Amino acid sequence: MAKPAAPDTRALAAHALAEIALRGASSREVLARLTPQLPDARDRGLLHALVQAGARSWLRYDIALDRMLDKPLRRKEPTIHALLALGLVQLDVLELPAYAAVAATVQAARSLGRPRMAGLVNAVLRRWQREGDALRAQLDADDVSRWAQPAWLIDAVRRDWPRDAERVLAAANREAPLTLRVNRRHGTRDAYLDRLRESEIAAHAHPELDDAVVLANSTDVTRLPGFADGDVAVQDGAAQLTADLLDLADGQRVLDACAAPGGKTCHALERHRLDMLAVELDAGRVPRIRENLQRLGLDAHVLQADAAQPDAWWDGTPFDRILIDAPCSASGVLRRRPDVRLHRRATDIAALNAIQRQLLDALWPLLAPGGRLLYVTCSLLRAENETIVAPFLAAHADAEALPIALPMGQAAGPGWQILPGDADLDGLYYAALGKRRA
Amino acid sequence: MSKLTVLEFPDPRLRTKAAPVAVFDDALRTLVADMFETMYDAQGVGLAATQVDRHQRLFVMDVSEGRDEPMVLCNPRIVEKRGKQMEQEGCLSFPGIFANVERASWVRAEAEDADGTTFSVEAEGLMAVCIQHEMDHLDGKVFVDYLSPLKRSMLLKKLDKQRRQAG
Repeated sequence: MAKPAAPDTRALAAHALAEIALRGASSREVLARLTPQLPDARDRGLLHALVQAGARSWLRYDIALDRMLDKPLRRKEPTIHALLALGLVQLDVLELPAYAAVAATVQAARSLGRPRMAGLVNAVLRRWQREGDALRAQLDADDVSRWAQPAWLIDAVRRDWPRDAERVLAAANREAPLTLRVNRRHGTRDAYLDRLRESEIAAHAHPELDDAVVLANSTDVTRLPGFADGDVAVQDGAAQLTADLLDLADGQRVLDACAAPGGKTCHALERHRLDMLAVELDAGRVPRIRENLQRLGLDAHVLQADAAQPDAWWDGTPFDRILIDAPCSASGVLRRRPDVRLHRRATDIAALNAIQRQLLDALWPLLAPGGRLLYVTCSLLRAENETIVAPFLAAHADAEALPIALPMGQAAGPGWQILPGDADLDGLYYAALGKRRA
Repeated sequence: MSKLTVLEFPDPRLRTKAAPVAVFDDALRTLVADMFETMYDAQGVGLAATQVDRHQRLFVMDVSEGRDEPMVLCNPRIVEKRGKQMEQEGCLSFPGIFANVERASWVRAEAEDADGTTFSVEAEGLMAVCIQHEMDHLDGKVFVDYLSPLKRSMLLKKLDKQRRQAG
């Protein structure tokens, strides 16, 4: 039996945040599991806002609590520790009305079955209200607590992007816009903007992108006009550049090597009639590709397989276009995936590099002469981008870097880097490799 | 210990009538421990073996605020009941769905613990509701069976819609 009344939203958020920040759980998985316990859409919205902001700023407020508490609660009372961090997030980041935020957070301690902690929660939050300016200044004096990012990542950003480091670090802590991709097969972007206007949903066309609509406010996307009928999908603008950079034409044979959840596959198919093979290694994510294809009314061959082992699945017919959206650190999309900074370690990069190289090496022979391979990551680390692509080009006489020039971002080695926040986009890297005709 | 998968309505296995617990061994105690882990993880107050696809007559329960009063009832039977109450119920097999159900307001139940020792428990309020709710599961019944057809179909539509949105 489930508890008869809906659970306390803040208590549930504290559970979620403790699992994500202290026990390594993925925020996507935790939110998918806990959200159904809240029947009310507004409570669900608050849960998501709390957990996302809580994870995003964990490295700041976790340190703040160490300074405010004589004995840290992290080990003995992890849920209360997370609840305290959420209290600070409500006051400092979400800027909720202080009296309500404090009272509701104290109440959450009670509904977590920790009534004796209620006084402590109240005292910590009141102290933050009184001494917040001084405490914030202390936190801002240290890099990790200033940016709420791990030291290795801050160092890497400064090393790789010395001129842009501050704005890149800041962009990771801003709320990402909700961006839609209009399905061209169902209608024009202008027509869809009209429908949004009729529904009184504020939105504008992205000035640099052909299919993108940026919503002024976050919303339940399933309630957008035509969502269930596949008239639109959710996709960041930076990812929508893939369809342009693939340089597609009707009739091409195309491979999307790391396809889940299928956004880039679908966008390509909305633009052109293609013979598309979407490969995904993770069996758990394959259904998402099929669902997205079905909702958008598109058709592709979907295959659960390791793209780096084409012997097991390739029929021997070359591809005109290959998209490698390679597994990576996700360091360019911290604003959308707030748990990445908590779970990713500097030591993960070498293993990711090995996969990135394997994918390039294994799939290059599948590309037809005159064809194009697009290497994409959502990373801003040079180690995952030009450091992978440049040696590949040097080692393959039949490979050449094709020029990319986008209205945002900058050239980076043989490819192009969009840094997080450029034109308010996610941070993605693109390199286009052409295969010379023999 | 490991977390178990909770069957969700309309899984036909929720309609299975459970067989009595005959052997009180380590396998049973492992099942009980796993059911507690599953129940606490899902923030539930009760979980019947039927819901984790194990068709033995037992359920676990903890209705305390502090989540520190675990109880396990094997082969539960209600030996006495009094009064009526109408309280809101939810169910881990119907995530996000809540409805008022009429139950006895006071019950006395007998059961065996995980070692096979018989004990008796008197319950009112939430605990009484929970015992009756979980015992229904062991008979293949679910709480929406008590609702009017109209109310039931409304809630099941809501369940459907939530799943589509979550997907």
